[in-house]
Amino acid sequence: MKTKKNKLTVRNLKLWYGESEALHGIDLDIVSGKVTSLIGPSGCGKSTFLRCFNRMNDRIPNCRVEGEVLLEGHDIYAPDVDVVQLRSHVGMVFQKPNPFPKSIYENIAYAPRIHGMVDDGDDMDELVETALKRASIWDEVKDKLQQPGTALSGGQQQRLCIARTIAVQPDVILMDEPCSALDPIATAKIEELMDELKEDYTIVIVTHNMQQAARASDYTAYFYLGDLIEYGETQKVFTTPRDQRTEDYITGRFG
Amino acid sequence: MAELMLKSALQSDARKRRRNRADRRFKWYGFTALVLAMAFLVFFFIDIIGKGLPAFQQAEMLVQVSYSEAVKDNYNLALDKISRKLVSRSWLRTIPMMLEDHPELVGTTSEEWVVTDYHIDQFLKGHEGHGLIEKDQKLVEKLCEEGKIKLAFNSGFFTHGDSKMPENAGILASAIGSVLVLLLTMLVAVPIGVMTAIYLEEFAPDNRFTQLIEVNINNLAAIPSILYGLLGLAIFINFMGVPRSSALAGGLTLALMTLPIIIIATRAALRAVPETIREAAYGLGASNLQTVWDHVLPLAKPGILTGAIIGLAQAMGETAPLLIVGMMAYIPEAPHSILEATTVLPAQVYTWSGESIRAFEERTAAGIMVLLAVLLSMNALAVRLRNRSETNW
Repeated sequence: MKTKKNKLTVRNLKLWYGESEALHGIDLDIVSGKVTSLIGPSGCGKSTFLRCFNRMNDRIPNCRVEGEVLLEGHDIYAPDVDVVQLRSHVGMVFQKPNPFPKSIYENIAYAPRIHGMVDDGDDMDELVETALKRASIWDEVKDKLQQPGTALSGGQQQRLCIARTIAVQPDVILMDEPCSALDPIATAKIEELMDELKEDYTIVIVTHNMQQAARASDYTAYFYLGDLIEYGETQKVFTTPRDQRTEDYITGRFG
Repeated sequence: MAELMLKSALQSDARKRRRNRADRRFKWYGFTALVLAMAFLVFFFIDIIGKGLPAFQQAEMLVQVSYSEAVKDNYNLALDKISRKLVSRSWLRTIPMMLEDHPELVGTTSEEWVVTDYHIDQFLKGHEGHGLIEKDQKLVEKLCEEGKIKLAFNSGFFTHGDSKMPENAGILASAIGSVLVLLLTMLVAVPIGVMTAIYLEEFAPDNRFTQLIEVNINNLAAIPSILYGLLGLAIFINFMGVPRSSALAGGLTLALMTLPIIIIATRAALRAVPETIREAAYGLGASNLQTVWDHVLPLAKPGILTGAIIGLAQAMGETAPLLIVGMMAYIPEAPHSILEATTVLPAQVYTWSGESIRAFEERTAAGIMVLLAVLLSMNALAVRLRNRSETNW
């Protein structure tokens, strides 16, 4: 068996919204090339925690972060870190599919262009095709690349958003409840996709769906009221949880 | 038994009937209000159009003009004694000047249709108080029958500036003034307003200072417009030395007035762009500027344009602040630069409405019609832009 390699290391992470502390010192290692799911009742801080990885919380006024988040050993909260660069390494897929109201092609090409990865032309066409194929949506959209991305169905839009994230070739993909607005069939496709993508990317997903966490993730972290209660291999967390609160939550007795 | 209960449950009792009556009453209140508002509007339009339409026609008279050498010194000699009395003096006075420009005409005679004196014009249109004396009325009627006096399209209304003689007064000077003022307002207010809004909405931190600014901008949009005139007078004319009555002074003053409107409209348009679009862009590593420029602004553009056009339309119809910076002026000649004394359409309407000669009444109404036509087309443009964007989104 390969030795585990940590992609992200979190040490004593605390986060405040104004005066109230939302995360009370989290320690967690995200394993490279695996899917890690963050579960917990609403308001437990799992989304907040996820947004620490690409510093999306920076946009919220009065939000303050303490502690360390290391991406392959580099502190992403160090003063010399460029947030724009960070976000090209740590991509994000959101709860509601949010393609840009532009063409499907533009949706994919935008980020590689602003990061100067390739020039417009054949290289860009190839990159767009690769990203769409990687997100298993190429066959559905190859004939309508110039049509608006907003005209696709919800599930297709979400896969387009995943393709858009992949196009930047990040190391980590964060997913914030990516299937909560989708039907079971679209959800299954996304889960399948996650399984394929974890070969190349480290995926962290926030989900409210216990089955999804059990099905699709290798590691599971249970959050409750801003604390990390339990963290381990998904199978262990779901079959033999160490903490009573975890058991109550995953069996549906509370939460 | 059960059937009976259902039946009574489906029938309305007194309480239900009362509720239904209240519903109907409320509907009628609303409908009556609408009808009243429409009635006022219709009355206004009928009144203005009824009064203003005649102004687009003007009485003209066919006369024999003899351009002799003596006419240069005494323009009265150009016509015979009877015609001289009937044609517009404003036209007569221009003859010596015209001869200086066209010396080749000296010594010739010609037959020309010439604008008549306003008394005749008013008499022909059957307006009360035309002031034409009994003897001349007969003469005019006779000339009409001979086809030597007629009502023709009043092109002078669009090609002349203001005049003290109603038959010679037109809107050209004020229309050009309005265009100049509006252009200046647009050039100043739109970029500053839009940039301010973008900064406040997308870049500025949310603190005491920006909150204070926000409250003040909202207040500025609501203060009486005449105060902007005082502000303009103090800043632009007294402090910066901009010439009084000039299009520059008026344009800058109106820009001050339009700024808060544009800022508020732009902020609303920016706020209407879904937060998810910003998140998407930031999530991909776009910078602040890239997010705003590439994604937020294109979506907000129709809203910004609509706001800007409505703000400018309001500026176009504004008179009060211009009163203070001296644009309520008698301007017979169209301005050639933004530093010359200028007036604007609504100010021209106001000036005419105060004239004692009755013949100005129809020109006032006609001026209002032109102003309304411009404003309505601006608003139509704003609506069009809004609709077009809705289909794109």
